[in-house]
Order: sequence, then structure tokens, then C-alpha cells
Amino acid sequence: MSQVTFISPQGEKIVVKNAMGNLMEIATEHDVEGIEGNCGGVCSCGTCHVWVEPEWLERVGQASEIERGILNFEDNSNERSRLCCQIEMTDDLDGIVVKVAN
Amino acid sequence: MPNLPYHDPFKEERKEHPAIATEFDGDPVAMILGFKEVREAARNYEKFSSDAPFRVPIPREEDVRTVRQYPLEVDPPVHAQYRKIVEPFFKRPTQPEYIARMGKMIGELLAGACQRDSIEVVREFAIPLQSRALTYLLNMPESEAEVWIKWGTHVFRDASGVSKGAEMEAYCNELFDQAEAHPGEDFFSALTQASFEGRPLTRQELLGYANIAFAGGRDTIINTVSTIIAYFAGHPEELNWLRNDPKNIVVAGEELIRYTTPLTHIGRLCPVDTEAYGVPVKAGDLISLCWASANFDETVFQNPETVQLDRKPNPHIAFGNGIHNCLGAAHARLIVRTLLQKLCEMASSITILSETRNVEKEAAYERCNAYAELAVIIQPI
Repeated sequence: MSQVTFISPQGEKIVVKNAMGNLMEIATEHDVEGIEGNCGGVCSCGTCHVWVEPEWLERVGQASEIERGILNFEDNSNERSRLCCQIEMTDDLDGIVVKVAN
Repeated sequence: MPNLPYHDPFKEERKEHPAIATEFDGDPVAMILGFKEVREAARNYEKFSSDAPFRVPIPREEDVRTVRQYPLEVDPPVHAQYRKIVEPFFKRPTQPEYIARMGKMIGELLAGACQRDSIEVVREFAIPLQSRALTYLLNMPESEAEVWIKWGTHVFRDASGVSKGAEMEAYCNELFDQAEAHPGEDFFSALTQASFEGRPLTRQELLGYANIAFAGGRDTIINTVSTIIAYFAGHPEELNWLRNDPKNIVVAGEELIRYTTPLTHIGRLCPVDTEAYGVPVKAGDLISLCWASANFDETVFQNPETVQLDRKPNPHIAFGNGIHNCLGAAHARLIVRTLLQKLCEMASSITILSETRNVEKEAAYERCNAYAELAVIIQPI
């Protein structure tokens, strides 16, 4: 099963094993600070902003046009930014590391 | 039958221009209509400022209140400090006991509605629901809701034509007197003990927080509740779909919030002569961030005038956008999700007996926004 590591704004690592669902759901289930997911994952609220670690960027893939439109106006946004509600956990992403942006 | 599908009054204008010049009560206003442009303008506080007491809501509110609303009517850098003072209260809706309490209350209200021959949704269901829910948010005794219910749908501009603004300010003054003398665990007590830049808040500031706590999330929630009830009356198959798969409630709730967009727009004041997406604006005049237009922008939302309960992604900005985004959004979302859950569990069908739409009649548009009156029969399961 797949593992994901969230790095909080304070640098704390939260490692979740056997992770299922999208990264926002996984983060909120494990009380990752800075990930709120208020809109439940419909790409509206922008409260699940993460930076994907560089080595994972290619496998995670690009943000959709709508997601990019949200991210363009978010604070702390950069080329590694994603809304993690839009990243579905798969075997291919086993070991992924993301940093909380807010 | 409810007047569905929704008619977007900004559609034709938005296709031609991202912003239009219009007026409200004689004040010139540049209304920004495009989704992208509204989002961008909402974040440009130097050009489009909130440091404008009584002017952020449209129409202006000098006639109905005496205090600047906090943290709505301030800009950075002080905005963040004003907002931080009250943020802990607005995070309470994610607590399990809060969620359970909301479920119990809305369940009881709906059970009562099901037992009656008919119910007038606005006055007999939505207003009590909103007022009782607000006691949870502000951590006040639930009995206080009886006072707030009497203020009507909109504290300042109820359909009765009588503003309860002065009555509400007097009530808030009493609350703060009590809180200063005998502080408790409620919102008002917390404010009297808060510190801003090393000093206590002034009475004007206290009243400014209380004013928006009561006025801000009132007609918006009431209008969303009545719109949702009317929607399912017209679309019983959609309620059945949700009932069969309640894991869709969160996504469906977001779509119903987008569809309702209960706050049509909000103002910003331009401190210097400028232009807003092609419309010239003079210093001291307003622009409007039109959430209701942005949320129906067909370049972002396919078939925007149709409710698609499984719409995802759904990047709506019904709660605003940027640093001033709605503080009560978590509370409002919980109300909507709980209402949907209870309707699925308890209501087999809803029949409309009579309805009167709220229509916002302005110089540039007429917009149907929820109901002034909505009488229904709710058939229990």
C-alpha cells in the first residue's frame, strides 16, 4: 500500500501509511496543520495548498486549467504548487512527499 | 413549481465586457462580472480597498448602523490582526460535538415541519434554524435565539421595511456590558478580553464585530436554506439520487451554494482615480465584486444555470475570495451539509403550496434571490 509524507509549516513530518483517497482527505484525517479542505475537494476553497517535492513533480502531473486558475491567485504559490484535493493517491505515488504551503 | 432553472441576469453583459458601469441608489459603481477578473480584483486591496466603513455592503449602510464592521471593513496590514482575534470562534464548526449539536437541532426542526400540514419555510424553518445555529457559533445560550428570530430575514433591510439595526446595536451594547462585568466563554466575552496592538478593543470596535456577526451570515443562510428546499421540491429525483448515495452530500452542498450565491456582490472603494477592466472609476467611488456573475461564468462552469449535484471541480466563490473570504464559511457549509443529510433521512417529498421570490431590482439587472415566502408540505419518510 502507498505511503505519503506531509511536512508541516513548522517542519514536522507526518507519515501516513496505507494511504487511500486524495491527499486532502488523507491530510485532514490525520490533522495535518494548514490543510483544511473546507470545500470537501471540489477545487473551490484553496485551503489544501501544498508544494510537491521536486522529485515527485513529474509523476504527480500538471494541475488542470481550473486548478491552476485558483493557484495563480493563492499566496505562496509557485511552480510546485498543487491543491492536494486534486491529487489521488495511487501505487505510483508510493512515498510521495509534499510540504504544506499555508 | 419554482422558477427553475436559474436565470443568470449578468450573462449577456459578461459575454461582452468583464465589467460594466452602473449605479446603486445614485452612487456610481463599476460591477466586475468575469470570474477571473472578480478573483483578481478581490486580492488587489491597494486599488480596491475595504477601508471604507458603511460602503463595503451595497447599498451603503450609513442609515442602518453607526459602527465600522470588523474585520470586513479594514485593509492589510491591520486586517490580519483584527481577523485573528475572532478566528478561533469560526473554527468551532469542525468540532465533533458542534457537528452533533447541529444535526440534532436541524433534525428536530425538520421533524416538526414534517408533522405539520404545511410550513412557511422562511419564517418558520430557515430563520429559527439560522438563529439557533448562530448560538452555537457564538457559544451563547440557545434561548437567545428567540430574541434574534424577531429581527427577520435581514436585520437592516427586512421585507417589512423596518430596520432592526438600532435595536440590534442596543442589544449588543447590553451584551458587552454584561460580558465586561461577568465574562463567560461566549464570543462577546472573548472580544472584551481580546487585545489589539497591546490595548483592549474599544466599544466601537466591539460593536463593529458584533454587528457583522449578527448581520453578515443571516439573510445569506436563510436564503440558501429556502433555495435548497425549493430546489428539491422541483427535483424529487435529485433528492432520491442523494439519498441513495449520501457520500455525495459534500459535493452537492457546494453546488447548491454556488447555485444560490446568496450574496450577489460586495463593494470596494477606490482611493484614487483608476479603471476597473475598462470602466473608469473616480476616487471615492465603488467597484463591485459580483460573486453571482462570477459563479455563472460559462468559461469556467459548464451549463452554469443548471444544478449538477455532482459538479466537480466547482471553483465557486460564493464565500468571496482572498483575505476577506467569509469567516462563517465552515459554519454555513455545516448547515448546508446537515440540512441535506436530514432531508435525505427524513423527507420523502416536498410540495410547494405558494411562493414569493425575492427579486433584487437594480439599475443594471433584476436578480431572483431565494424567497420572501415559501409554503410547502414536507412528506415524511
